[in-house]
Amino acid sequence: MKHNSQHPPKFFLKFFRWFCHPKLQKYIEGDLMELYDERLRQKGKRKADLKFVIDVLLLFRPSIIKPAEGYHHLNEYGMLKNYFKISIRTIWKHKVFSFINIFGLAVAMSICMLIILMLADQHRYDQFHGKRDRIYRILTKIPKSLKPNASSPFPLASAMKSDYSIVEDATHLVPGVGGDAVYEQRSAEMRGFFADQSFFNVFSFELEKGNKDKALTSPNAMIISTEIAHILFKDEEPIGKTVEFTNRGLSHLVKDGESTPTYWGTYTITGVIDHQKQKSHIKFGVLISASTITSLHADEKIRDMSDNWSEYSNCYTYVLLHPENTPEDLTRALGEIVAHKYTNAAELKGLKLIGQPLPAITPGIFVGNPISFSLPIEVYYFLSFLAFAIMLSAGVNYTNLSTARALTRAKEIGVRKVTGAKRKDLIYQFLSESILIAFLAMILAMILLQFMKPAFRGLWVNQYLNFELPENISVYFYFVLFTLLVGLLAGIYPAFRLSKLQPILAIQKKESSFSKKLGMQKFLSVSQFIISLFFITTSILIYNQFKHHLSIDYGFNAKPIVNIKLQGNDYTKVSNELSKLPGVISISASDYLPATGTQNGTALKIVGSEKDYLSLTVLVTDEKFADNFALKIVAGKNLPAFNQAADRFILVNESAVNKFGYQHPSEIVGQLMEQYNTGETFEVIGVIKDFRFRMPSEQEAIAPLMIYDRPASLRYANVKIAAANRSQTLAKIEDTWKRIDPVHLLDCQFYDEQLAETNQGLVDIVSIIGCFAFLAILIACLGLLGMATYTTERRIKEIGIRKVMGAENRAIIWLLSKGFLKMLALSIIVGAPVSYFVNNFWLQYFPNRVDFGIGTVLFGIFILMFLGLITIGSQTWRASKGNPADTLRME
Amino acid sequence: MIQQQSLGEFEELVLLLVAALHDEAYGVAILENLEAKLKKKVNISAVHVALKRIEDKGFVKSRFGGITEDRGGRRKKFYVITALGKKMLDNQYALRTSIYQQIPKISFG
Repeated sequence: MKHNSQHPPKFFLKFFRWFCHPKLQKYIEGDLMELYDERLRQKGKRKADLKFVIDVLLLFRPSIIKPAEGYHHLNEYGMLKNYFKISIRTIWKHKVFSFINIFGLAVAMSICMLIILMLADQHRYDQFHGKRDRIYRILTKIPKSLKPNASSPFPLASAMKSDYSIVEDATHLVPGVGGDAVYEQRSAEMRGFFADQSFFNVFSFELEKGNKDKALTSPNAMIISTEIAHILFKDEEPIGKTVEFTNRGLSHLVKDGESTPTYWGTYTITGVIDHQKQKSHIKFGVLISASTITSLHADEKIRDMSDNWSEYSNCYTYVLLHPENTPEDLTRALGEIVAHKYTNAAELKGLKLIGQPLPAITPGIFVGNPISFSLPIEVYYFLSFLAFAIMLSAGVNYTNLSTARALTRAKEIGVRKVTGAKRKDLIYQFLSESILIAFLAMILAMILLQFMKPAFRGLWVNQYLNFELPENISVYFYFVLFTLLVGLLAGIYPAFRLSKLQPILAIQKKESSFSKKLGMQKFLSVSQFIISLFFITTSILIYNQFKHHLSIDYGFNAKPIVNIKLQGNDYTKVSNELSKLPGVISISASDYLPATGTQNGTALKIVGSEKDYLSLTVLVTDEKFADNFALKIVAGKNLPAFNQAADRFILVNESAVNKFGYQHPSEIVGQLMEQYNTGETFEVIGVIKDFRFRMPSEQEAIAPLMIYDRPASLRYANVKIAAANRSQTLAKIEDTWKRIDPVHLLDCQFYDEQLAETNQGLVDIVSIIGCFAFLAILIACLGLLGMATYTTERRIKEIGIRKVMGAENRAIIWLLSKGFLKMLALSIIVGAPVSYFVNNFWLQYFPNRVDFGIGTVLFGIFILMFLGLITIGSQTWRASKGNPADTLRME
Repeated sequence: MIQQQSLGEFEELVLLLVAALHDEAYGVAILENLEAKLKKKVNISAVHVALKRIEDKGFVKSRFGGITEDRGGRRKKFYVITALGKKMLDNQYALRTSIYQQIPKISFG
């Protein structure tokens, strides 16, 4: 050959040879080569190559491309096309069955898709870190707690960095930054962490503005989020501006919790970060350079933790390993540190430090003291399990209905076999049918999903979780994969079952083995109904439990109380101003709101007693608290108004009286108590009636409580307002608040609403389980409908003859329903005890539980029976009503 | 019957060239002639598609030429016009002429 070195681009030549019709390929290729050589001579290789590529691409058109039927192997595509056509025709011919199948599958699939979306959403977290495969978060696991803590000791990061060569870099985030920054009369509330410069080396966060190499090096440097930058600086350039920062001890995690405001000095803004663009489990409004810590604890504004190994809850450590080191090296290093630091610490014996890879954080295992809220992987397992149950149920419908219809399709199968179809071919045919149905269901499911997404986002818990649930190509890829799987699994049993049919039997229409032996179908249907019954009972039970919690008697009167967050303002001033308003009956104060989830603890013992310290919950209130909440003092006196001499007086509740071993409340009055750790002595001045200060879902028995007055710790004003003109009173309170504190917005809520809100978690569970129950029963009834329709259709002639012979409608309905009723009865016999015992089992661990009697189960059974009977009845009724002349005429 | 068979403009041009190049008509030859006559660039793929179409319609038939060195041992496919194709061209020509003759004698310009 003459042009060995000069040939057109190989890839495109191969491509051309691949797509071109074999009959045309040789000589078109000849023409292409001739042109190529000519151009090569005239215009050079590059131009010729380019023209060649263009020619090849332009030849890629229908009349030149080889037909997909295949040139040599005619059969496969043709058969597939035929399967497809037959499937479409079958779907179209049996509209009711197809609808039941597609709709049932679609409903179940939409649930599964939602979970896929949730998981996909979680997997988008922390994807932008360039070194993410080498980043580990250090968890602390202490033996007495079941779950590890996300936090770790403060000195760990620096110890890892200096002592271990496997660690390339380490950084830690120290919570405790939470307060207000003020810039030219504008104030913004911010929560965040202290961080060192290694933060930007370990993670790949990018700054919207500012230089990330220097942003955290100098003391009093501050990085803020774009939202906060906008509040503080509007359109001004934030970099280099200084702000005044007052720390209020706001937690990075929860809405509540604050301490006495402390002025922390001025800070220079060195960076602005946009969290929208960088989805991470680390969320913050502000980062303050870690070098600031030194000066802050020099001024005694924060504690020095630089050598505190015993506290593990106030720091989040992240290490970056060298590329050549493995997680095992990290585990070994952490083991060494533990051996070195904790062998002599009696309290923390058995403490373990665990490296958790960054990609395993969201979605990840359940950890205590998290850096941000996310749904732990266990919840996904649970939801997936529920979704799986629903999916299984829908799949079973398909399997059941397809298998039951075998008889109708027996002729088709017989003819196919006689004309030479092998069993394999029939299996392919049925599988392609089920996959087609699954894909149709997928389209419907995606429409349903659009309705479910907003409903899901509306759940209470989602205000903490920030699910965005975007749909993108990779998610669709998983949808398709999932659909294929569903189609395959649903179709595999009918495919094997139907393809086994003997052609001779099929054509002779002998009602051989399989029409009578519907054992498998019955078993599957029964299990569907058992699952449905279980879901129904559970959702009724949880709903009852929820109502029970709402109506629970807290022992105090929350209805007229409005709680106002003091937000750092002096309580005396607020109380003085507000009590002047008409409509305000009385005002008291507390450090947190009882029964909304917060509580502080301490331990006391009777002075001089040999007994152990008794753990108590501590509540700080002023002297008006008891009156304001209508709490009775059962013995002794109420707290006196605060003064230095009176700060040793405490109130205890009746439960504490019992726990301290006194029979009667009056016996404890005047008793001196010694506090654990501080050794402070208190005198019990009175006994307050028991009331609930924990959430109903937390504890049943009322625990011991002590109440004392520390004006500096008061965080909430509890304003009791008159029932009349509540909205006017509220408006006046707001006006007054604006005068007292022009910086912060009024944060007030009705106490009864706040109490109800603590039960929102249950509402979510009711909605989710209720939704699953609804779907389970819907799908089970659809399946039942399909079976009933099929049976009545098959027996339509028999019914006609019976009617001609004089059978009554009632007798016919009974005849047709008998089988299904047996199935329903069986599922109730099995399902009712199962749902009773399983629900009773978990209810045992639930405080303040509602009575779970036979009534709930009976109600569940009633719903199941009702829906089941309507389903069967609709079909059998129709069949029995039919005129025998119509059904018997056509033969 | 012939009236129902359609012939696109480009197809007609290719068919004309096949007829004109009698027995020497193959892809590249047609392409080059077309480019010379039309005085614009034509793509080889367009020629092949047109050839395939008119062959399917029965206006041309083809035969393979001998193996030649300069095409890397690949044959040429030569096209010859069929009687049907010739008739089609005649009809087209007649049709156009007859309509052309109906143009009134008006002087333009």
